[in-house]
Amino acid sequence: MRSMEETRWSPAATNCFHLFWILLLAASTFLVIPGGLARAEGVEIPNPGADLWREVRQRDATPVPVPAPTTGIDLWREVRQRNAAAIPAGTTQVSGTDSAELINALGDQWRRFRMEQLVPYGGYVLGGMVLFVALFYFIRGRVPIHAGVSNKVLFRYSVYERMIHWFIASIFLFQAITGIFLLFGRDFLIPVIGHGAFSLLASASKEGHNLFGPLFLLALALIFVRFVRRNIYEKGDLTWLLRGGGVIGKKHVPSNFFNMGEKSMFWLLVFAGGTLVVSGLILIFPNFGQGRALMGLSHAAHGITAIVMTAVIIGHIYIGSIGMEGALEGMKTGYCDLNWAREHHDWWAQRCENEDKILSRDQVGRAGVHSPEPAAGQVVEESGK
Amino acid sequence: MIGDLIDGPLWYFSAAVFLLGVLWRVFEILRAGVARDLAPPRAGGSAGAVRALFSRFLPRRSLVKTGKLQLIAGYMFHLGLFALLFFAAPHVDFLEERVTGFGWTPLPHWAFIVASEVAFAGLLLLLLYRLMHPVTRLLSSADEYIGSVLVFVVMLTGCLALARSFEVLRLVHLFSAELLLVYFPFSNLMHAFTFVISRSYTGANMARKGVNA
Repeated sequence: MRSMEETRWSPAATNCFHLFWILLLAASTFLVIPGGLARAEGVEIPNPGADLWREVRQRDATPVPVPAPTTGIDLWREVRQRNAAAIPAGTTQVSGTDSAELINALGDQWRRFRMEQLVPYGGYVLGGMVLFVALFYFIRGRVPIHAGVSNKVLFRYSVYERMIHWFIASIFLFQAITGIFLLFGRDFLIPVIGHGAFSLLASASKEGHNLFGPLFLLALALIFVRFVRRNIYEKGDLTWLLRGGGVIGKKHVPSNFFNMGEKSMFWLLVFAGGTLVVSGLILIFPNFGQGRALMGLSHAAHGITAIVMTAVIIGHIYIGSIGMEGALEGMKTGYCDLNWAREHHDWWAQRCENEDKILSRDQVGRAGVHSPEPAAGQVVEESGK
Repeated sequence: MIGDLIDGPLWYFSAAVFLLGVLWRVFEILRAGVARDLAPPRAGGSAGAVRALFSRFLPRRSLVKTGKLQLIAGYMFHLGLFALLFFAAPHVDFLEERVTGFGWTPLPHWAFIVASEVAFAGLLLLLLYRLMHPVTRLLSSADEYIGSVLVFVVMLTGCLALARSFEVLRLVHLFSAELLLVYFPFSNLMHAFTFVISRSYTGANMARKGVNA
């Protein structure tokens, strides 16, 4: 075996080695500097990766004056530009919507919209609404029946009307809760229950949300057909709106069977609910040829509309329960207190009084079972038709 | 651990309670017998029994006029549930593996989903009718509500487990189904079996009296 001493180079050999490195460095400097100059002058330097991408981009397309990408950012920018109208889409043998698009830039736009706008601002809207309702309750308190609960009632909603109201209410609540899990769960639930539990909850929510969605369409159709006639705007509704339904000022605001707020709520339900249904169907049936652009748009419409609708429903639930004395009774038993009707729907109450439709609570019975002398037409209404 | 319990012993226990309970209830009804009819029969009872058994699947005209909603919702729920229970692909697999030993052609996925929607809509509407209508509300006991809610929970947990991605969701569905099986024989849900006896008895009895019931 040769020792280390034997492998040590002589001074002459060492000098030669140093000289070799100096020459090599000088040669590489000469190679690099012209390369840099050449790039500055637009001369292409062989780059297999970039060439491949360029080929992919330009195949079957009219030549497009695209500057040669020099960095990864440029490359991706160029690839994404295939979605621009000026640059035709590629061709593919794969038959499917959007198959000829290499990168769909709208997907990233949708993702950013969802993460940076829909989720935070949607959260502010819903949280703000809950806060507003709570503040309103603490400042204004429960709206009482000023004349007190009477012993007289008016027949207000049939069994069928109450059924379809609670039908759509239960479906909407289920959809709202599962939708909130899906939209805000990543931010609010993962820190609390962890990734594993959230993925399970998200999967369950998604399946439930998709399955109950079409039922909302059925419920909406039933509600529309039954209540549309009573929700057409009429003279006096605008006055109700301008006075904030009695909140602004101390003067009594008259209204009919439904006031302006309830009518607006109905039409919001119809149009926003319609938007929710249409956009939801587009999302859960992707097999009808809709592209990702339409899907992204539908998701945005679905999310925005659902948040607005949920915020409004929070207000509806508040005013229909703890916010106003006597408001829930009509939707619960079918009958409402006469004084409540006089204070909130006085035109309708007056008409009922003129038509002798006032019933005593004894007539209605402890569970609303029967009315010995029902007003004309009441039996037909109560039969649920 | 809990999963093994739900998938194994609890399943066999609930299936046994269901089977023995249903057999016992049916046996008790048959054992009770009927009062002897001393009048000479005008016709045989068998034809009347069969006629009543099947003809009452169709609604009576008076019922169509007064209770359209209950009628439609009732059909929606029962037909939807029947399709779900016996023709949903996961159920066919389960029954083949655990009960029958043979399978049959399941519904396509889209039909399975439609059946679920129909059954859910029907059940919700019927439950709301029970709650909203003053007469049915008075007639209903805790048994009806427990039965309805249990069926709803079983359907809901099944719907949540549709993706078949999480074992926990499947076990929750199976566990709720096991609770239903245990509750079934002791409740009014027994009408799923006893309707045959009651219709046949009524039909036969009326036929012997010469009444076309």
